[in-house]
Amino acid sequence: MSYRSELTRTWWLKHHAFKAYMLREATVLPLFFLLLSLAMGIYSLWQGQNQWQAWQLIMGHPVVLVVNSIALMASLYHAWTFFQLFPRVMPIRLGEKTLSPKVLIAAQWAGVASVIGLFAWLFRGAL
Amino acid sequence: MINMKIARYQPEESAEPFEQSFQVPYDASTSVLDALNYIKEDLDPTLSFRWSCRMAICGSCGVMVNGVPKLSCKVFLRDYEQGMLLEPLAHLPIERDLIVDMDAFLKHLEAVKPYLIDAPLESENTAMAHQQTPAQLAKYQQFSNCINCGLCYSACPQFGLNPEFLGPAAITLAHRYNLDSRDQGKAARMPLLNTEEGPWSCTFVGYCSDVCPQQVDPAAAVNQLKVESAKDMLIQLFRGNL
Repeated sequence: MSYRSELTRTWWLKHHAFKAYMLREATVLPLFFLLLSLAMGIYSLWQGQNQWQAWQLIMGHPVVLVVNSIALMASLYHAWTFFQLFPRVMPIRLGEKTLSPKVLIAAQWAGVASVIGLFAWLFRGAL
Repeated sequence: MINMKIARYQPEESAEPFEQSFQVPYDASTSVLDALNYIKEDLDPTLSFRWSCRMAICGSCGVMVNGVPKLSCKVFLRDYEQGMLLEPLAHLPIERDLIVDMDAFLKHLEAVKPYLIDAPLESENTAMAHQQTPAQLAKYQQFSNCINCGLCYSACPQFGLNPEFLGPAAITLAHRYNLDSRDQGKAARMPLLNTEEGPWSCTFVGYCSDVCPQQVDPAAAVNQLKVESAKDMLIQLFRGNL
């Protein structure tokens, strides 16, 4: 008779590769808070000036700023992991040659930098 | 001497696996497989384990070394001077000592039709039929290096949670044949690969690729197949088959 072992709830604590994976997946938690904050902002805008100003006050609270800073770091970490996986999932072939993963990773970071640059230019002087 | 702990399972003696320690002499070239053979020949002839080629080609001797799936012929005692724990490959039913039941793995391999499926030949010149350019070969060559050792299944928590998941090696092999210019069997493979047991159960933990002794990168193959599965769904949608 064969013996079957069950996967325990703590399976991911057994190896650093699993811990790194769980950390990558957990980046969604602070991002969820950011999305909730933004949804609240849109709702406050719809409710009128007083609500909008109250929302702005909440957004300036140190705890909210800390959580949203964590969300920024988490999304950058997630992007870092994602950008490394991307060339493996969608290798790009030009003729007989496959584009180097380093080029694809650099191109994705260039994309991030240009989006940040675009928003910095759009909101220049507003902050 | 190294202290080698081995998780043993003797179904006629106990209902659960138990650990047994052995003191094994070693030098710079002693592999774990050499040590297992030493134990079986000199210390305990009842120890059971699989092996064949001793050079990481046959894929028979997979075991967990300190919780990490490895080929026992490719791991050396010199790197484990603090001692080691050997266990049978994780996520598969244990038959006896270090021997696991590979049936689930083999059934998944078989299910994806891992062989060339030909279109009827238009020409009678069969010597021409299987010509392939280096560029066509390069598309799938990496994924054809799998030796069916099963280490990726022991590394995959999704397979551990759901043994119905086709798993890294089977999905990689399906992708390997789908990418082969000589193959016409993609339409026959996709219906199974589009199910929940196909690549969509993979969450890209990526550890299967870390442990692969042949650098096949099954995680890449599985996730490339997600793209193919999505494309196939769109094609079926436009054809009115969904």
